[in-house]
Formats: sequence, structure tokens, C-alpha cells
Amino acid sequence: MKPILKVENLKMYYNTKSGYVKAADDVSFVLNEGEAMGLVGESGCGKTTTSMAIMRLLADNAEIISGHIYFKGKDLLKLNEDEMNKVRWAGISMIFQAAMNSLNPVYRVGDQIIEAIVAHEPNVTFEEAKERVASLFKLVGLDPKRIDNYPHEYSGGMKQRAIIAMSLACNPDIIIADEPTTALDVIVQDMILKEMSRIQKKLNMSMIYISHDIAVIAEVAEKIGIMYAGKLVEFSDSVTIFKKPAHPYTVGLMSSFPSIKGEKKELVTIPGEPPNLLEAPDHCRFAPRCPFATKECWEKEPPYEEIEPNHFLACFHPQNLKKQVREYARS
Amino acid sequence: MPEAETINATDVVLRVENLKKFFPVRKGVFSRVRSFLHAVDDLSFEIRRGEVLALVGESGCGKTTTGKTLVRLHEPTDGKIEFLGRDVTHLRLAADKKWFHSKSQMIFQDPFESLNPRKTIFDIVSEPMNIQSEGSLKYREEKTMEILKRVGISPPDAFLWRYPHELSGGQRQRVAIARALVMNPEFVVADEPTSMLDVSIRTQVMKLMMNLISEMNMSFLYITHDLAVARYMSNYISVMYLGKMVEYGETEEIIQNPLHPYTKALISAVPVPDPEFKRKSIQIKGGIGKAIDPLPRCRFYDRCPYAMDVCANEEPQLTDVGNGHKVACFLYTKKEE
Repeated sequence: MKPILKVENLKMYYNTKSGYVKAADDVSFVLNEGEAMGLVGESGCGKTTTSMAIMRLLADNAEIISGHIYFKGKDLLKLNEDEMNKVRWAGISMIFQAAMNSLNPVYRVGDQIIEAIVAHEPNVTFEEAKERVASLFKLVGLDPKRIDNYPHEYSGGMKQRAIIAMSLACNPDIIIADEPTTALDVIVQDMILKEMSRIQKKLNMSMIYISHDIAVIAEVAEKIGIMYAGKLVEFSDSVTIFKKPAHPYTVGLMSSFPSIKGEKKELVTIPGEPPNLLEAPDHCRFAPRCPFATKECWEKEPPYEEIEPNHFLACFHPQNLKKQVREYARS
Repeated sequence: MPEAETINATDVVLRVENLKKFFPVRKGVFSRVRSFLHAVDDLSFEIRRGEVLALVGESGCGKTTTGKTLVRLHEPTDGKIEFLGRDVTHLRLAADKKWFHSKSQMIFQDPFESLNPRKTIFDIVSEPMNIQSEGSLKYREEKTMEILKRVGISPPDAFLWRYPHELSGGQRQRVAIARALVMNPEFVVADEPTSMLDVSIRTQVMKLMMNLISEMNMSFLYITHDLAVARYMSNYISVMYLGKMVEYGETEEIIQNPLHPYTKALISAVPVPDPEFKRKSIQIKGGIGKAIDPLPRCRFYDRCPYAMDVCANEEPQLTDVGNGHKVACFLYTKKEE
């Protein structure tokens, strides 16, 4: 498998009046062609910041301190704005959070997608673009007759499908989907996730799903990265992450999630709250909430290393799952 | 009226009979009422002491309207609500209102909007006592500290004079819970109390509520769209679809053995946190509509994969199919004929 996106030691801080907020700190991962990965974490853990850095759509006060983002071998952080514009949408496109509310209410849905196509491919005529939109509509399961409708005539699920069609408009290599189904009801969510997975496999695209919901990620992603307080703490294939997670935060997350299948298990709580990233500590950021923290964890940051093939971890005390859950339940 | 309390205080805290709440839909130049939105249509159920009933359904199915009607934030259109043996459907006397509201409370979904930003935590939590003019200022302060401690805000005196914006989302929801519980209510409606919270905080708040429910022996109506959360929080689940209760039963029974085609579809659509589990989801057509002047037929008729002729002409009634498992579907009730 060929890597298509490589993020190396990305450090992205927000420069605020009260100091630097370390929103993404030393994030590294590799995404291969045709692969779907998930970034999981709580709000403020840096998952959206990481994806915004990849798209270079950062706020004015955001500073990329160091790191590289290689897309097809090119470092995106070194491109100028014009070159970057060519990568956006045509190379990497994005489904934004609450995207269904981001359609312009006074323009027809079809026209909004046509606009994106014409902006990126100036030699495409209006008619050709419209034809492409019609085929995109079919691909995402919308009736092409609805091209000329306005957003208010669509239901929530239909708007989300239209947004997916829009993200596909310029045949991107990668789609970043930031909480694509969070505002939707379960039945619609299920349909949209199935549709996205099907399209991703059919077109052999790469996907980055961003979500706080590990159940959603479990359904669609082959690889999962767990983020905590600006750090990528664990990264591996989804089966490893779910069956033998090594980071105490991952373990806590897995066993604090209620499931509808199988036996009703005791839910485990992670004590405390995520830290304030404004005064991000020098030691392991999970140490204050971790039942296994030792002196070492309070002194330095654990390095992000490959502990077994394709299993990356930033923790001094990787232990096996069962023992950890027992410890958690006691703590 | 208070003597009724002692007669019926043993078991049933809340009994709802044929509860209806319709909202007028105004249209046209003169904004005349042309039709009604049947938000809650003919709901009957009971909640016993110490019991948690989860009300589950998609957005727009009427679960929040039901909750608000039960704590009397909405005036019911028709039906009867009995609380601790007293009829509270229409509260007219100020004394009755005061009595009812001291014993029934509501926790709202969004802790960022349900707390007044210009009031301190003490003001917010002690307000119910103020309204009920209970105790001296000293007593209120002690009671506030005690309840804050119980919901896990510690040390409470450090938070008493803070404002909501100084608190995290999880802390705010704890404060909202404290406000609801400070009067020792008998019955609490919790409207998606954890859906705005982060995963690790959510479990904390869920566990806190479970402990408080059993400690204080309260009755809870837990409104949620998340069946997995409902499974952990409740003793009974009731599934709503477009204002109707379509299924009711013990929690594990509903999760393991759903009967109504809608419940089946709903449960099959819940993602499972296990990448090796291959979930078979039941596909249903179309999306959820609105119950504006609905026809007398099964509201799920248009989307149901098993729809029969009878479903188009008659409304199915909630019927017990054994062991208190109730379902409103002709697939089960018409079998014997």
C-alpha cells in the first residue's frame, strides 16, 4: 500500500492573549491510499485542529510551530496560497462539522455544487458541471430531479448527502469528514455511514473520519488514532485498538462506552476532566487522570513509539486490557 | 387534598392516561388555525417509585413534549395526569402548583443554556427553595452545599459564588442536577442530560444520576435518542414514533427482543463499538415526517417493511403480548384472528 498522506511531528499552537494553546502537539501518522482512518477524542483534543492544519484552513492566530504534512510527496506547509488552492477540494476535500447547516439557503443545492466544480476546473462548462452533479447525486443516493431544489426543501439526511456529493465534486484523493453524522438521527446516520463507506470503497479513496463516537468509527475505519489533549496517544488498526488497547485513556474510553450488543457490562468512568491546553504540562498529559501513573509519568512526556508493527503508543506503562479494566473499576 | 398522598404513596408515583398534546398550525393570511400537530397522541403509562422509564425515539417524535407536559411546562390538550394519587392535569390553585412543582423537576439537555449566566451557583441551586420559601438563608446555604457535594462538586464552598461560565460542561450539568434535586423531588424528567457532554464526562454523569436515583428513591423519566444510554440508565423503555407510544417493556426485554418493526430498525441502526461485529441493519424507507392531522392509520405505515392492508385503515392499540411487554402493531395483535 502506498502512503498518500504523511503527517510528521505536527505542532500547531494557537497564539492567544494568555499564551500558547497547544492544540495539536507532535502529531504523526500515515494514511495509505484507499484507506479509511478515524481520529477519535473528546472536544478540544485537537482532532479538528489537525484536520484544519492538513487543509491549511487555520484561524489567524494559529501558528504551525514545526512539522510536515506530505500529500503525495509534497509538503503542504511549504506551498503558497495559489498552489494550496489547487490541492483543496481537488486533492483533499472536507465535510465540515454541522455541514448540513452550511448550505446557502438562497441558492439552489445543485448550483452550489456547480460553483465548486467551476471554481476548480475553469474549462468545464455549466452544462458539463450540471451533468456531473446529476451523476454525483445518483452516487450518493439522491434523486437527480432535486438538483434545482433549495436547501429548505431537503431533509437533514438529504442535506448531508448533498454535502457528500459536494465533497466528491472534484474527484479528491482524500476526504476529511469532521463529525459527518453527529446531528443526525440513528437511522439516518446508519444510512449515511453505509453510503460513505460504499463510495469510499468504490472510488478507492482515502478517508479521515473525525468523531467523538468510537462506535461510529468502529463501523467505518480500518485504522484509528486516539487523541488526548492535543496529543496522538495511540494509533493502530481498528481491531488492535478495540481488542488490545494499550494506552490507559484508550482502555478507559472503550470501557466507558455503553453498547447495545452483548452482555450489559459495568461502565467504567475516567475520573477528572481533560486538562487546559493553555498551560499544557511537560509531563504526560493523562497522568492526572491515570490510575497507573508513576513518578516517571509526572516528570517527562512519554515518547510516541511503535511498540509492535503498526501499533504506535505514547505511554510508559502499556498493559493488557483485562488487568487495566479491573484496576479502573477499583480506582 | 394532601390526604390522597398517604393513600396512594406506596407504589405508583405518576399515572398518565390518554395524554394528548396538540399544537395548532397557523396558516394563511389571517393566521387561522387550519390543522393540528399531534405531538403527543394518546399516551398512557405509569412510573412507580424508584423506577426509571426511558423515553426513546428520533427527533420530532414527541419525547420532549411529553416530558414538558408531565412537569406541566405545557398544558395538556386532553387526558389525565395523576401524581401521588392526585389529579394534576389542570393546576389552577397557587397552592396546588406550589405543591406539584416542589415534587417534580426537570433537567434540561444543554447545560450551557439552562443556567442563567448572571446568577451565581448559589443563586441557581437555591432558587427552588426561594420560590418555595423554605428555611432561612443559613439553611438554604447549608442545603445548597450539601446537594453540591452530593453531585460531586467539591469543595462546594469554592463554587458557591462562581458563575456558570467559570465551570466546565460536566460541572454545569452537575449544577443543573443539583438544582433539580435540592427540593428532594419525587419525580424528575431528564431531557437528554448527557448528550451534550464528552464521552468520559458522560459516563461520570450517568453514574452519578444512577447513584442518586437509588439513594433518593426517585422516579425518573429519562428522555434520550441513544438506546445504548437508555439500556444503562433505565428499568423500562418506551419507544415513541410520531407522538405515539409504539412499544413498552422492561429494558433488557426491549433491547434483546424488540417486536415493533420500528424498534427493530432503531436498534439495528445503533453502531456497535466493535470492529469485528458485523451488524445487519434493517432498512426502512423514507424519513420521519410530521404528525399534522394524521390519518387514522398506523403512523409507521409508509415506512414499514411489513405493512398490511389493515395497517392503512386502522390504528393499532398498545396491547400486552405477555410479561408486560406492550406493542402497538397488528403483526402481533391480529395474529389470533
